[in-house]
Amino acid sequence: MSGVVARRRTIVLGVVVLAAAVLAGLLVGPARIAMSDVFGWLVAFGDAPEGVSEQASTILANLRLPRVLVGGLVGASLAASGAAYQAVFRNPLADPYLLGSAAGAGLGATIVVAYGPSGSVELTVPLAAFVGALVGVGLAYGLGRSSLGGRAATSLVLAGVAVASFLTAVQTFLQQQRSETLRQVYTWILGRLGTTGWDDVRLALPSVLLAVATLWAVRRLLDVIEVGDVEAESLGLHVGRLRLVVVAAASLATAAAVAVGGLIGFVGIIVPHTVRLMVGGSYRSVLPLSVLFGASFLILVDLIARTVVSPAEIPIGVITAFVGAPFFVAVLRRRARTT
Amino acid sequence: MRAERQTPVALPEVELALEVRGLSVELDQRPIVTDVALDVPAGGWLCVIGANGAGKTTLVHAIAGLLQHTGEVSLWGRPIRSLKRRERARRIAVVPQLPAIPDGITVEQYVLLGRTPHLGFLAADGPRDHAAVAAALDRLDLPWAAGRRLETLSGGELRRVVLARALAQEAPLLVLDEPTTGLDLGQQLRVLELVDQLRRTEGLTVLSTMHDLTLAGRFAHRFALLSAGRLVAHGDRADVLAPHVIAEHYGVAVRVIDDGDLGWAVIPAPGLDP
Amino acid sequence: MGGDTGTHLDSFRAEGGQMGRPRTTLYVVACALVLVACASDGAEPTGGGGSRNPVSPSTSFPVTVEGSNGSVTIQDRPTRIVSLSPTGTEDLFAIGAGDQVIAVDDRSNFPSDAPVTDLSGFEPNIEAIASYEPDLVVYSTEIGDLGSSLRSVGLTALQLDAPVTLEDAYEQIEQLGIATGHQDEAEVVVAGMRAEVDSIVESVGPAEGLTFYYELDDTFYSVTSDTFIGQLFSLLGLENIADAAGKGSGGYPQLSAEYIVEADPDLIFLADTKCCGQSPRTVANRPGWNTIAAVENGNVVPLDDDVASRWGPRVVDLLRAVADAANAAADEAAA
Repeated sequence: MSGVVARRRTIVLGVVVLAAAVLAGLLVGPARIAMSDVFGWLVAFGDAPEGVSEQASTILANLRLPRVLVGGLVGASLAASGAAYQAVFRNPLADPYLLGSAAGAGLGATIVVAYGPSGSVELTVPLAAFVGALVGVGLAYGLGRSSLGGRAATSLVLAGVAVASFLTAVQTFLQQQRSETLRQVYTWILGRLGTTGWDDVRLALPSVLLAVATLWAVRRLLDVIEVGDVEAESLGLHVGRLRLVVVAAASLATAAAVAVGGLIGFVGIIVPHTVRLMVGGSYRSVLPLSVLFGASFLILVDLIARTVVSPAEIPIGVITAFVGAPFFVAVLRRRARTT
Repeated sequence: MRAERQTPVALPEVELALEVRGLSVELDQRPIVTDVALDVPAGGWLCVIGANGAGKTTLVHAIAGLLQHTGEVSLWGRPIRSLKRRERARRIAVVPQLPAIPDGITVEQYVLLGRTPHLGFLAADGPRDHAAVAAALDRLDLPWAAGRRLETLSGGELRRVVLARALAQEAPLLVLDEPTTGLDLGQQLRVLELVDQLRRTEGLTVLSTMHDLTLAGRFAHRFALLSAGRLVAHGDRADVLAPHVIAEHYGVAVRVIDDGDLGWAVIPAPGLDP
Repeated sequence: MGGDTGTHLDSFRAEGGQMGRPRTTLYVVACALVLVACASDGAEPTGGGGSRNPVSPSTSFPVTVEGSNGSVTIQDRPTRIVSLSPTGTEDLFAIGAGDQVIAVDDRSNFPSDAPVTDLSGFEPNIEAIASYEPDLVVYSTEIGDLGSSLRSVGLTALQLDAPVTLEDAYEQIEQLGIATGHQDEAEVVVAGMRAEVDSIVESVGPAEGLTFYYELDDTFYSVTSDTFIGQLFSLLGLENIADAAGKGSGGYPQLSAEYIVEADPDLIFLADTKCCGQSPRTVANRPGWNTIAAVENGNVVPLDDDVASRWGPRVVDLLRAVADAANAAADEAAA
């Protein structure tokens, strides 16, 4: 069937783009490392090859490579979670932070920054953000799932808004109490990959792999739930179970992403929508492509964030908004012309 | 993935496809349907009629297992409560009055949704499913539309697409809620004739709700008249679609015509004595 | 903008033209008596920086001083000073005005005998400040119209914002001297600072030209040579790796880890030891940073966050610490 062929082709395209993005991420950076050196290092992976200085090798191995990997993991997580939430809540504006994960993560980070032992901030903030995100979603889910039938999706969204508002209020209060924490939390909120290392990769990788694999596996069912809870039940789908699985997986992915990257907005909405403009609304394609293009998008955006005002950096959350919007408009225009 | 794959359900040779006893439905603590009993013979067509708000849609949704209810519903002798979701979906296909039309998917992808009850939670569709989809599109003259986006189709075409999805489910009981909604006269007749043809050739059993009494009378065999949630008449056309019955429950005098050339029709005749 | 003290006088005048003058005289005499009484309560020696001279009633009030909020007229020698600025607090005590200070904000932790309260310079509560009935409020950051709010309740407010150059910092000390009637002491303090700065600059010989990275927080925010801190380092002839990133970042760019590693600075100064728990050990643990010269040679210098963020007399201590570290690094390299 032609649908399958076209789908395979776009997935191949997604993989190619991702590979190109990773390569670009390794080649470009504030430290001037020659292209030949990068390739030499890649080929002799593990050891510093001759001709490449130890410093360049260190930068590539300990700074650029983990940063590119984390960028890819975060981008893939946010895009996949956004797409999945848009399906199970039938809401095109649903983003990965919908059920209070962002507010929970922010609160966790603030608590640690304000009251935690000042020595081990590097490790405890991501962990606290991770736990906080999951707690936020758990609260929203517990509050919102009591409603049945056609109102289940809306109830969850409303519960998420309530939980997010409350947790944000608590966070703001704590920040006012300890105003010296304001700047630290603020820079975290803007999203940052500037301090990533292999620790962050180790923290994020298992969760992201598990969660994204789960979402990838149930992508066919996301199409089914698009026809509404009642019709989906008539087709034999256990709507409540699917929603639970998706919320759990997406929250895990988002929590991991937020823990290592801070609150990077925009990715979870723009990437799935752009993918839909390219290949239509079926999640069989939208989900895998969101994963691939989400990873590429964030790697490239991070590349811009660290080169545009090099050697200074721009917080990545600021760039995603600037870059995403015109890109979306361009794709929209192209679609309007060809339809 | 090799998850469970089902061939169409093997049905016992019983006379009654659907048996409903003492069915009551409450929504927001108000009774919508009270104590309804009806029978649908295998391969037959029962149409539920009644004034607006009588509870027709609620009744058929409850029978299809989509609403909480009290009472007994049996499909081919098996109580529906004993069936798991997917088993039930392999036996009953529901075509709703106002189906949700998801954005940006093609006819083929939409009809493929009908194969959901045949695939496990993590299963992927295979050749058997694609064949069922192709067959359904074929029956409904839709192969030309396979790659078209749903939003580009007309009302009549959409209704056929939803019917194709129900067909792809390969379920022996078809539940149609107001199948003529939004269609012009010609389209209405074509859809109902198609359903009748499928009933005869595929051995489907049909349960429908309709507000148009003439069309109902021309296609269905058995009728159930619902008034304020209660069953007030149950039987064949002569018993249920009789002028005095219609006058009593619709509040309008009618004349029933059963003419060899013109066929059967209900004609409102307000000036007449019932 | 000295209108608030004008209203003071107006309220006296309003009570009757002829009666005005005698009342004013009475007031000044009463103040002088009160001041003498306060001074004779015994002045304890301060913890550090600046000596305390016995009070001599100033003969030059009212004065007009220049703050960051413009000209401020101070009618009489202030004896109930509230400081919302840690640097202001340090300056006041250094020039001998410490016993005129009745309350300082919660971050003013130096000198240790400054009367610390719950008042906040970050979230100033006008009522709380006014409840101390100050005759002079010194603050540094204009948070939400703080200045006009203070004036609207009739208080004299002097803003001394973060300076751009060392000269500006000296100027602030001198202005405070005029404002509090310690002009002479202030000039002595400033002269002392200048002399020390000069000697420190001279002592930095072979360390000139060494590169450094100054860290504000653990996400690699730094300072360029356009900032006050940056200029101090320039005085010593040290080269700031953040200058390449300075364009358009307002003097406080966020650097990329890669760039820092590549720039391979000879010295690293940490101004985030208190806020963000950084230390030479944590820096050495950062991925890839162990190849930096400063880390390899043990030239990662933790600074006191407070000293590094203020511009009072202890700026000299900061400069000395930096110079010592730079010299040590230079000596090692030569050896």
